[in-house]
Amino acid sequence: MDERVRLSGDVSLNRGRGRRWMPALAAGLSIGEYARSVERRLAILAAVILIVIWALAGQGYLWPAWAWLGLGVVMLVESAAGWAWRRPPGAVRRVACVWAAIGVASVILLATWLLTDLLAGARDFWPTWALFGLVSAGCAYSLIALHDRVLVARGRRALRARIEMLTRTRRQALDAQAAELRRIERDLHDGAQARLVALTLQLGRAEMRVADQPEVAGLIHDAQREARHAIAELRDLARGIVPPLLADRGLTAAVESLAARYGLGTSVESSVDRQLAPAVQSAAYFVIAEALTNTAKHASAQHSWVSIGERDRALIVRVGDDGRGGADPQGSGISGLRARVEALDGHLRLLSPAGEGTLLEVSLPCGW
Amino acid sequence: MRVVIAEDLALLREGLVAVLRENDIDVVAQAQDGPGLLRAIAGHDPDLAIVDVRLPPTFSDEGILAAIEARRRSPALGVLVLSQYVETAYASELIGDGGAGIGYLLKERVGDVRAFLDAMHRVADGGTVLDRQVVSEMLAPRAGSRDALEALTEREREVLALMAEGRSNTAIADALVVTPGAVEKHITSIFGKLNLPACGDDNRRVLAVLAYLS
Repeated sequence: MDERVRLSGDVSLNRGRGRRWMPALAAGLSIGEYARSVERRLAILAAVILIVIWALAGQGYLWPAWAWLGLGVVMLVESAAGWAWRRPPGAVRRVACVWAAIGVASVILLATWLLTDLLAGARDFWPTWALFGLVSAGCAYSLIALHDRVLVARGRRALRARIEMLTRTRRQALDAQAAELRRIERDLHDGAQARLVALTLQLGRAEMRVADQPEVAGLIHDAQREARHAIAELRDLARGIVPPLLADRGLTAAVESLAARYGLGTSVESSVDRQLAPAVQSAAYFVIAEALTNTAKHASAQHSWVSIGERDRALIVRVGDDGRGGADPQGSGISGLRARVEALDGHLRLLSPAGEGTLLEVSLPCGW
Repeated sequence: MRVVIAEDLALLREGLVAVLRENDIDVVAQAQDGPGLLRAIAGHDPDLAIVDVRLPPTFSDEGILAAIEARRRSPALGVLVLSQYVETAYASELIGDGGAGIGYLLKERVGDVRAFLDAMHRVADGGTVLDRQVVSEMLAPRAGSRDALEALTEREREVLALMAEGRSNTAIADALVVTPGAVEKHITSIFGKLNLPACGDDNRRVLAVLAYLS
């Protein structure tokens, strides 16, 4: 293609000469095409000259037929090679080359037999076994070469199907797990916690009735305190499983509340207001929570910021600060986060040059 | 006092009704979801609505939305929101609605019956009551614009927390075992440090503090 463009350029510079001497080039043909067209004309010319010489020389044995065969074979080789070369590279092209060679050889054999038969009067069809041998060898070669290819293709297809199946089932497992956690959190609220609240209520009523017996009232009061502790523990447990604001209002609201609680002057910027898959939402939340905890503990930062957005069907979460940097990308906290993110086919990147702050970037596919 | 209750768990609803009836409070209607609450309020014109945050059908924040809507329809109504957990975000939304006659408490506070009844009366009278856990989160040290809070002494922070819970000067004095005069001094000092306009009215004072914190 390049060749053609360059040549056409040259032609346009020397337009007059090109038109006169190289009509094929002027028409935009490549050098190869041009050479073939010249060759074809020369071959036809040679064939005509030979038959004229034969006619003038008194005819007799049609010897120019052998020259025609030679010319034809040259052109046949050229087109067969061209045909084979246009196949896709690899086993298919190799097989095509073999068949092109077999085709050319067969044509030579058949033409030779035909000419000897016609011109010299041979009687039996001697190329049979040669043709049979050629075609058998071609078939054997094709089978071996393409068999590998078929096997590899089948293997790849099976592998791809397995990857798709694993991706799908892992996704389903994670979603099921997130839904299950949400159910446990709700059960804690509506089950055990609600019963404990009802218990403190009953204890409160009892306490009021025995107000004149300080000893009993004291015992009831202690029992109530224990119940309150149990409620607080259940609440902390439920919050650790799924923070209520995350379940109720989604990621942005939960992260804003989280940032306010850390009191780092953290700014939160979010362009995501749709409901995300529970597994993605939880992972994003816990990544941000862990990152802010690390900032508060180690970074000595003046400011920190969180940004949440979507790009190319992925949730992009960035948590940055202007602290001392130097966070260890192999540290246990980061490794835990990375495992959580990678379980969702996501990526985690940590930039923390010493003295220049820290940036944690996580992308989580959320197109599902 | 006439009260409506919106709580979907029968166990808690019935326990609450029993406690209130024992203490001569008239429970005029019970609802199990947001729309039911709004109908009960329209039908019975109560002084106070006690609302659970998580109500059917989604069990997320229907109670907050129903409380805000109820207040929009009847601004004189006191609304006491109860929840298994407290969120400053929800507190800010409830206060943002106007503040007066709003309460936001953890559910387990009902166990301390006397304090709970006291909170109910204060909310019905147009006061503001916030759970001490919300208040302590609001008072948590923060960077940036919240520096003024750092200037408060430990005792002043205690006073501020009790004020945010909606307690009167006398109640704060009792809780901290000091004289009302000392409480008054602390309050003046807090308002000076936070640069808030001084005012005598208890509830307006609470609102000023809450507006500052949220």
